[in-house]
Amino acid sequence: MGFHIVKRENCPWWQRLILYVAAVLIALGLGAVVLLFMGVDPIEYYYQMFTMGTVGNRIAYKTFMNYLKEFVPLALTATALSLAFKMRFWNIGGEGQFIMGSIAAAFVVFRFGPVLPMWLTLVLMCLAAMLVAGLYGSIAGVLKVKFGTNETLLTLMLNYVALYVLNFIGETKADWNFFLQEQSARPVFKNFSSIAAFPQFALGGKFQLNLCVILTFAVGALVFIYLKYTKQGYEVSVVGDSLGSARYAGMKTGWVILRTVFLSAALIGLAAAFKVGTAGVLSTSITDDVGWTGITVAWLAQLYTPMIFLVSALICVLQHGSMVAAATFSQVDSSFANMLQGAILFLVLAADFYTRFRLARVKKGEKKNG
Amino acid sequence: MAQYAIETRGLTKTFGSVVANSGIDLNVKEGEILALLGENGSGKTTLMNMLSGIYKPDSGSILVNGEEVSINSPEDAKKLGIGMVHQHFKLVDTFSAADNIWMGKEKAGLTLKKKRYGEIAEIAEKFGFELDPKKKVCHMAVSEKQTLEIVKVLYYGAKIIILDEPTAVLTVQEIRRLFNVLRRMKEEGHAIIIITHKLNEVMEISDRVTILRKGEYITTVDTAGTSEKELTEWMVGRKIDLNIRRPLVEKTRPLLEVRDLVIENDEGSVAVDGVSFYIRGGEILGVAGIAGCGQKELCEAIAGLRPLKSGQMVHKGDNIAGLPPKAILEKGIAMSFIPEDRLGIGLAPSMSITDNMLLKKYRDARGPFVDRKEGRRDAQSVIADLSVVTPSTETPVRRLSGGNVQKVLVGREIKAGPNVIVTAYPVRGLDINSSYAIYDILNVQKEKGVGILFVGEDLDVMMALCDKILVLCHGRVMGVVHAHKTTKEELGLMMTGSLDLTEKYEGKPAGIAKDSLIDEQEGKEA
Repeated sequence: MGFHIVKRENCPWWQRLILYVAAVLIALGLGAVVLLFMGVDPIEYYYQMFTMGTVGNRIAYKTFMNYLKEFVPLALTATALSLAFKMRFWNIGGEGQFIMGSIAAAFVVFRFGPVLPMWLTLVLMCLAAMLVAGLYGSIAGVLKVKFGTNETLLTLMLNYVALYVLNFIGETKADWNFFLQEQSARPVFKNFSSIAAFPQFALGGKFQLNLCVILTFAVGALVFIYLKYTKQGYEVSVVGDSLGSARYAGMKTGWVILRTVFLSAALIGLAAAFKVGTAGVLSTSITDDVGWTGITVAWLAQLYTPMIFLVSALICVLQHGSMVAAATFSQVDSSFANMLQGAILFLVLAADFYTRFRLARVKKGEKKNG
Repeated sequence: MAQYAIETRGLTKTFGSVVANSGIDLNVKEGEILALLGENGSGKTTLMNMLSGIYKPDSGSILVNGEEVSINSPEDAKKLGIGMVHQHFKLVDTFSAADNIWMGKEKAGLTLKKKRYGEIAEIAEKFGFELDPKKKVCHMAVSEKQTLEIVKVLYYGAKIIILDEPTAVLTVQEIRRLFNVLRRMKEEGHAIIIITHKLNEVMEISDRVTILRKGEYITTVDTAGTSEKELTEWMVGRKIDLNIRRPLVEKTRPLLEVRDLVIENDEGSVAVDGVSFYIRGGEILGVAGIAGCGQKELCEAIAGLRPLKSGQMVHKGDNIAGLPPKAILEKGIAMSFIPEDRLGIGLAPSMSITDNMLLKKYRDARGPFVDRKEGRRDAQSVIADLSVVTPSTETPVRRLSGGNVQKVLVGREIKAGPNVIVTAYPVRGLDINSSYAIYDILNVQKEKGVGILFVGEDLDVMMALCDKILVLCHGRVMGVVHAHKTTKEELGLMMTGSLDLTEKYEGKPAGIAKDSLIDEQEGKEA
């Protein structure tokens, strides 16, 4: 008697759903154990966290608006990364591309913002961020196509290059450095929310919907259609699945790779422009780690765009909620969310195993005579 | 009751909802060769994997020397004296023959001892193998690697030896040598199970034949009292005509001409060396040769996937050397190469059958979108025409069994309506039914005036199907012979390079057409 692993032919969607939900619940259970040890009532903590403290709060609309500010860059970055991942191009340079995009966006605001109408500034911001981030991401793409270098290493390293460029700008007081406040003696990034900010639309009550949110959903829909229905999206899948077959089908594989990597990085740049355009100021932690979290989100969602939006929403609830909860439960650090996120990722991957395999009991059959 | 070396009773194995084996009763005596026969997907490999401890049966029992055993791992199988020679060799390329054997040995100790070479040479000699224990695997030919695999299981003391399609990669002469070895092993009292698709081999080597069909045990018969025809009927479940048609078609002028082609392989050494041939419309030109003699490089070069070092390639009088794959595709030259893993070139394994149908023509749809409707239509018709076994048109290709994957690939190539078909190993590992379906398809195309280059393995088939056969040996042409005039022996000698027929006809070098369009072109230029 014993167990052995058997491959599953097909896992119906509801079984899959049950497995994933169970994985999340177990992760929350593990978190609860940790909370109990810290002397915190897990139910109350989770309640605060998942409601983000909005229940019975007079400024709940504000919480939700802040929540969306975190959601937009993450969802957009994860969507952008999924484009490259679909082609099995391991772009882990989201951080660097995001930073380069935000520098470009801020550059546009400071140079052209004061003289151009706001709408034009915003458009230019987005375009500049997309172009710069796209080109920055293409470095790894070009080298891969030309010399077959490993994109994982390159994009990773380029993250640090970008980060130090941003640090340099942020710490160097000089006449040319228009990114910083002139009045301050210490190097501080200049606020530009009065020059350029994405418009918001009042939707009844005090809640205002930022244009970025609408655009993010629109881009999500476009990427979904792009990957699923267009010829270019088809090429992305084939190149990712079998480079040999793509060449055999007459695709210009180098071109497909470059195009897709540029698009992926450019959309990350767009996410950066949205972030900069709503935050109104640069900072050395402008990315909020979306380049990293985006990777997790893209894989948890299995590169399926609607799922990416759903997972992004959940991860943001964890992150934002834990910050809110930290106000009530001072002994629990807001990085508790990171731990929980790790546990969820691990357990969802474990659940994934059970969607493809199952444990079966070894039976002994009846013996025949003969 | 006679004592069996190994016996299974009611062995059953399911994968999800698929029943791979159900109630299999099989037995082999010592000193007996049992052939296991069945179509693709009939469960032969599953059964053997259960015997060698890779899978665990869901129910049923395995008896070794009359005692019920439970085989939980390949290690257990080894202890019970069951050795398996896999179709794909499990060897470390950079190790010598002896070290490959040594590393799997228990109690080998921490150091490599000098005497291992002697020990292994001894056992090889005992069974009449030619094996140099110091030779590295990467320098070995396919047949040597196989010999090594067999010596390995013998060295581990296997009394029951399972060979999974051992003849698929060998030449006629090599097969004969292998069979001599098997006979000697049989005399030594080993029990041997051999899996093969080739009926003539079954008739030649086995004592009894066990037949499976769709995972079910059908029957076991004495080889002496049966015939190829009967075996086929058992296997397929109905009567089938075993003759391959070779329709006579009026030939056109050369469609594809290749002259003095030199192509390098991935390592930069010459893989195809001065090859010339031509294909006319309405003719099938076979390419015979031991695996790895430049077939792959030749096919890739024709499809534009591999650069030519030198030489000419002319299609209907137009030069196509150096054109990109897309341009060659548009000229109506279809290439399908079935690699050993079946998925290497030509298919996107994680994508659906529908998507794979569109691989070469997704561009033709108007606008920016892919026309999946057309892909689905194509998928449906290929599934119906070639009886592909699949749950739906949206199933990822890698979930299909090997034979069905091949049908999808070949089906798509033919659907595109090409005027030249280059097909390499289209029936590799396919069962009789599917193979004949593919021969038929090729013949239909031939009758339509398509020129076909058929890179094959089975000489019997090539001699029956092809009009002419070009023989390659280490990238060089050894001659072009008429399929109905040649013999297997002649082809075998040419394949090993012992017979060169390139100068057989004086004044007409092999592979150059009398009415070549290349010469005409040059004449014009002069």
